[in-house]
Amino acid sequence: MSDTLKTTKTALIVHADMSVLSAFQSSFVSKGYVAILARDLPTALLAITQHFFDVAVISSRLAEGGDGWPLAGVVHLVFPKAFVGVLTPETNVLTLQAAINNGVTQIFDVSSNPDQVVTTLLGSQQTGPTTPPVEPGASIQ
Amino acid sequence: MARQPSLLIVDDENNVALTLKMVFEREGYDVLTANSCAGALKILADGHVFDAVITDLNMEKENIGLEVARAALRLHPKPAVVVCTGYASIDNSSAALQMKVDYMATKPVDLDELKRAVSRLMAFRNEKQ
Repeated sequence: MSDTLKTTKTALIVHADMSVLSAFQSSFVSKGYVAILARDLPTALLAITQHFFDVAVISSRLAEGGDGWPLAGVVHLVFPKAFVGVLTPETNVLTLQAAINNGVTQIFDVSSNPDQVVTTLLGSQQTGPTTPPVEPGASIQ
Repeated sequence: MARQPSLLIVDDENNVALTLKMVFEREGYDVLTANSCAGALKILADGHVFDAVITDLNMEKENIGLEVARAALRLHPKPAVVVCTGYASIDNSSAALQMKVDYMATKPVDLDELKRAVSRLMAFRNEKQ
């Protein structure tokens, strides 16, 4: 396998609005990622079968309100190590619960600056898990 | 012979803990219960290996169930962690998301949903590990 194949990271961006897709694409590409764009659910699912994703940014609303959540769940199931961010119109208990139950890493307000979202997602990807693993029997504070 | 999947259920209401224990034992799980965060932390520190931990949020103190979740998520192998609460708020839900809790169920809990979630999370966890 070539070094390029091993090191190139790929991001999935799913949003109904082309201008938002374009902004995220620019941001990911400027950080060395390959960006795969989808405007709807079928295209996103097709992309999932064709690529290996390290990061995904998904709108919680594609064709109708909330249909982005199960897509985020699918991305998490297929790529368990991928960082999944969901863009939501508001942060409330229901959106947070949807995020937890679909394995989403972080939620962002739809009005967030794409560069900021990408920087945050990639930052948390480099940081990794916040709690180190503990062997059974070790003391827990 | 395959080992029974093991489950820790933490709830300060004994009736809830016992009902969940009965439900999951019927599903073939080996279930331990604790009625407080302190009790749960002791069990987790004793070296028991759990496939999943289901914890209430408000017990001795508000949101103290997050301590149980945090301790469980630090174990290796990591159990699936489910938080059940009737008092979800933006603060405790944000904390649960940040900690990477696997599932959040709201009380009154739909038992079928909870059983499905635990079973799915355990299958996913086994696949990953």
